[in-house]
Amino acid sequence: MQQGSSRNWTVLILSGLLICIAGITAGMPATTVGAAAAGPDSLTGIWVPNAAPQQLVTVDGSLPPLNEAAAKVYAERSRLRQTGDTSFDQTTWCAGPGMPRILTMPYPFEIRRDGDFLAFIHGWYRWHRVVDLAGGAVDPPLPLTMGFPVGHWEGDTLVIRTVGLIDATVLDAAGMPHSEHMTLTERLRVLEDGRLEDRLRVEDPDTFTKPWESLLYFRRDAAARVTDDVCPDRIADGQPAVLGTRSPAASPLQKDAPAGVPSNTAAPAPQLSGMWEPKTFGFMVPEAPLSKAGSDMVDRGAAAMRDGKIMHTAWTSCRPGAISTMTMPREKILLLQSPEELTILFEMPRMTRRVRMNSTHPDNLESSYVGDSVGHWDGNTLVVDTLGFNGYAELDARGQPTSPRLHTVERMTPAADGSSLDIEVTITDPEYYDRPFTIKRNWKRSAARHPFEYDCMENPRAEDFENAYYVRDRYRPTCMRVEGEGVALSKVVCRR
Amino acid sequence: MKLISRRQWWMAIAARVLTLGTALAHHSTAEFDYTKQVTINGIVKEVQWTNPHSFIQLLVDGQPGEKIQWSVEIGSPSLNINLGWRKDSVKPGDRVTMNLSPARNGKPYGTLRVLTFADGKQLNGVAAQVRGSAPPPSTGTK
Repeated sequence: MQQGSSRNWTVLILSGLLICIAGITAGMPATTVGAAAAGPDSLTGIWVPNAAPQQLVTVDGSLPPLNEAAAKVYAERSRLRQTGDTSFDQTTWCAGPGMPRILTMPYPFEIRRDGDFLAFIHGWYRWHRVVDLAGGAVDPPLPLTMGFPVGHWEGDTLVIRTVGLIDATVLDAAGMPHSEHMTLTERLRVLEDGRLEDRLRVEDPDTFTKPWESLLYFRRDAAARVTDDVCPDRIADGQPAVLGTRSPAASPLQKDAPAGVPSNTAAPAPQLSGMWEPKTFGFMVPEAPLSKAGSDMVDRGAAAMRDGKIMHTAWTSCRPGAISTMTMPREKILLLQSPEELTILFEMPRMTRRVRMNSTHPDNLESSYVGDSVGHWDGNTLVVDTLGFNGYAELDARGQPTSPRLHTVERMTPAADGSSLDIEVTITDPEYYDRPFTIKRNWKRSAARHPFEYDCMENPRAEDFENAYYVRDRYRPTCMRVEGEGVALSKVVCRR
Repeated sequence: MKLISRRQWWMAIAARVLTLGTALAHHSTAEFDYTKQVTINGIVKEVQWTNPHSFIQLLVDGQPGEKIQWSVEIGSPSLNINLGWRKDSVKPGDRVTMNLSPARNGKPYGTLRVLTFADGKQLNGVAAQVRGSAPPPSTGTK
């Protein structure tokens, strides 16, 4: 074995040299081969699926080894799927896809790493998963859609082991079932041809007669972008929740974003990286200087609530805007920091915000729920300027409105010892507020290694909408759970 | 600095969710009348362990030959975990007694205060934390 290893190394080194020479002579950048597959950041960047399979198969092309009970479940789902009924797959109503289902969807994802947090930021409905590279033991208190992934490096291969996966999800679009006892092990590496290979190993004795493996491949695409995707808007427009094919083209918002400009701050930037949690929940903005138009909207909501109606805002309709994360801090956030970008992953409401550092807003700004954020350091304070909101967001639980004229400036100042983070937000929106006003929120370091997740669309109950007041008409639901009569179970039904 | 356990922390959150009404809940809690209590007994038909709210569907005997299906909101997975629940704490087929605050609209719908199993064990719902509501029933042991 040892002698064989030595010989194998020699062959590998010679092969590598030959490939490098071939690459150089073919005019390829030498970094395309070899160097691209080395180091902890070899996987970072945006990936698009080579083929987004509807059905996972084993590495030899076979159906996974389902046990008898699971095979019956799968057969029934196959029958339903042929009739166009995909209600076994909760992505149909924009609920969490789970793992590895989200990797089989025709959407790009981005891998970002900062320290010992590695994040997959997916292009479908704001989902992300955070891999703990510190490698600690996990004892999931409750199962989650994305589970509790823990990773480590074996050479150039990132090995991710995930447990605590909720059984309401399916493994693929065809409805492959699994239990909550599933352990998913992924081995990710960049191949010599530049593709990303994810070798999945599924161990689930409740569902399968033996462990099995499958392979997924992804490629880089310079034009691809992971943008803010809001699934409920898509189904409200009569489109499927998961598009069959999705162009990886850049969105107008990001395509025309100006390139970074040199920072005028010579000193190293303070470290904001890591997990944070709110010191206190902020949920009301009590002294906002509402204009007459703003007051009228708030008064209408208050009157409806006095009548016993349930008020629905962007938040409760599962399409919250970034302004809500500034005014109503809830649960943990993960900050991933690089010289070019600060990425903020929110647990609740689930969202990703990106702050391009030392940049400017594009001229042809396209409006969105999250807006367009640029940042720069002012001494020890990160200043984040955000424009381009779409006007579908409320400041707080009273339903204080915003318009597309909303402009926010956040000043994020970490404490000298790095243990806390003060964020001061100045809000300007002449449509609904008489003057700019400022609110303050405070965060502290969190010891958590995984965020929980908030799957807002998981259970759209009819009762929530029967006696409702919608702040905006867009917030009306498209999908609703219908309780079964007698012993028949419930089912979520989406109208088209 | 006073340290509190994670469970105490979540209990405090749960209490604030309800005492502050719309503030922290997914939506307004105005649909329930927290000054009233209804107690029902039946067979669990379905457990929806889901966000933003979890539900138990309970089949309760009505008129002879009639089963009334109650929908009982039981909180959310993250809150319930910190109230001592597990996803399989309640299973379809279990016979349970549920003390709840009913919906104002008179439908068989409510939010859980206390769930009691046939052996007397109990699980609290978030509604038991509501300020100003009547105390939970004391039957059985937790």
